[in-house]
Amino acid sequence: MNEPEKKVLPGWLWAVLALAVVAVVLFLFFTDRRPEPGPALRYDLSEYEAVDESLIRYAEMQRIPVALEAPCGLAVTADGRLVVVGDKVLLILDASGKELSRREWEFQPRCVAAAADGTIYLGVADGVAALPEPEGAPVFWEPLDEKSLLTSLAVNEQYVYAADAGNARVLQYDRSGRLLREFGGPNDRENTRRFIVPSPCFDIAFDSMGSLWIVNPGKLGIENYREDGSLLSAWYQPGMGLEGFAGCCNPAHIAFKSGNVLVTIEKGLNRVKTFAADRSFAGVVAAPEAIQAGWSDAADGHAPAPIRDLAVDGNDRILALHGPLQCILVFEALAPQKEME
Amino acid sequence: MSLEKKPGRRAFIRAAAAASLGGGVWLAATPSAETTVWQIDPSKCVQCGQCATNCVMNPSAVKCVHATRICGYCDLCSGFLQPGSPKLDTGAENELCPTAAIKRSFVEDPYFAYKIDEELCVGCAKCVKGCGKFGNGSLYLQIKRDLCQNCNECAIARQCPAQAIHRVPLSRAYFIKEAGAEENQAQ
Repeated sequence: MNEPEKKVLPGWLWAVLALAVVAVVLFLFFTDRRPEPGPALRYDLSEYEAVDESLIRYAEMQRIPVALEAPCGLAVTADGRLVVVGDKVLLILDASGKELSRREWEFQPRCVAAAADGTIYLGVADGVAALPEPEGAPVFWEPLDEKSLLTSLAVNEQYVYAADAGNARVLQYDRSGRLLREFGGPNDRENTRRFIVPSPCFDIAFDSMGSLWIVNPGKLGIENYREDGSLLSAWYQPGMGLEGFAGCCNPAHIAFKSGNVLVTIEKGLNRVKTFAADRSFAGVVAAPEAIQAGWSDAADGHAPAPIRDLAVDGNDRILALHGPLQCILVFEALAPQKEME
Repeated sequence: MSLEKKPGRRAFIRAAAAASLGGGVWLAATPSAETTVWQIDPSKCVQCGQCATNCVMNPSAVKCVHATRICGYCDLCSGFLQPGSPKLDTGAENELCPTAAIKRSFVEDPYFAYKIDEELCVGCAKCVKGCGKFGNGSLYLQIKRDLCQNCNECAIARQCPAQAIHRVPLSRAYFIKEAGAEENQAQ
């Protein structure tokens, strides 16, 4: 009696199966199977970086190159010259960008202001330095404490104001360098915590009426002060949308056009905007896309904001000092009357 | 027949003892290489989120740490709150962290303190990006020594697009961010 024949898989099939197993093992071993982080793990600002084109009321007319490694301060003189500081250098350019003068020092100016009489004031590591003549020697005023960090200067006929981010205060000097008053900070008897300054974004500017405005970055707005240090008015506008200021330290820089039109630059969301005299939103000067064109901070997780300073010249052109591109972006209004309405 | 005397047991023990002593002295005199461990350089980190998904540990051995000395203690903290969050409070819909690992507590008006719950943190760097984008960068990622397996080849170092993860001596295993420091060295 014959035994029933066992059904055995043919040898070639075993070989194919073994090869398949080896291939799967090798595939799993050598391929990257881990998923990309999903949307819940991503910080996404694209919704707020997108700007409706119809809201852009300015056009970039010119880029003035600045021969500095790290430009950080910009001012416009009464006769329309541009003063730029950065590295350990002061540059004076004419309105078209032609270099008129270059001064190099051992100290590093962080901010600059120009008075109507031509005197240039510099914010340096330990205080203010005055430069009565562009080619003359700087006169250093009384040094400030170690914690001081001057981030902005503003000057009118009588006073020089210096914003000290390190101590969250604004110093009021007379034009000869005598310290008269402190707004906010440890020596302000009325309110030592007047200004909330979490990071070194603390700007001051005069409006077109000559009134002093100080950014209160922690409150996401600006405050208007009398010469005696009393508060006149305040305007805070927190929010991620175009009408507001986001994060902890905005607006990072301010300037004023004629008609008290406020120009702002933000940190985080790199956009330049204008607000009418009643502080209603007037329009966008430059969207993040325009500010971020031509460079990238993707390789640097903690890169500072690209726009390092802001100014308005006598022709109401908006000048934005772009650090990574080492240039001044010049913007002109497409329909100037609209933001006055 | 050889007349050479074979070395005895006593001679062998003497030679072995001398060799051991000499070797010990030589080892003691030679400076040994210090153990090294993997760590993230916060100045190079680009907060890509790969640390959360590529570490062999689950959850990742990478955690967010907080340099309180450079924190602004902001009410509107961009490392804690969602962009465009409707309210500045601890409501789940307002929090940025997907695992609610950041704890917010009131200090005094208008300041708030932030603390990381390490058990909940998955190292996704979402808060680090928000803090660096708008704030001072006081939140940053570090590989926790008590959790890291110190693999020969670190899985997240392989994936890191910024080459921010490298070996540092065990005695200086963490990068400490200090106020005013231009570059923060491993401590």
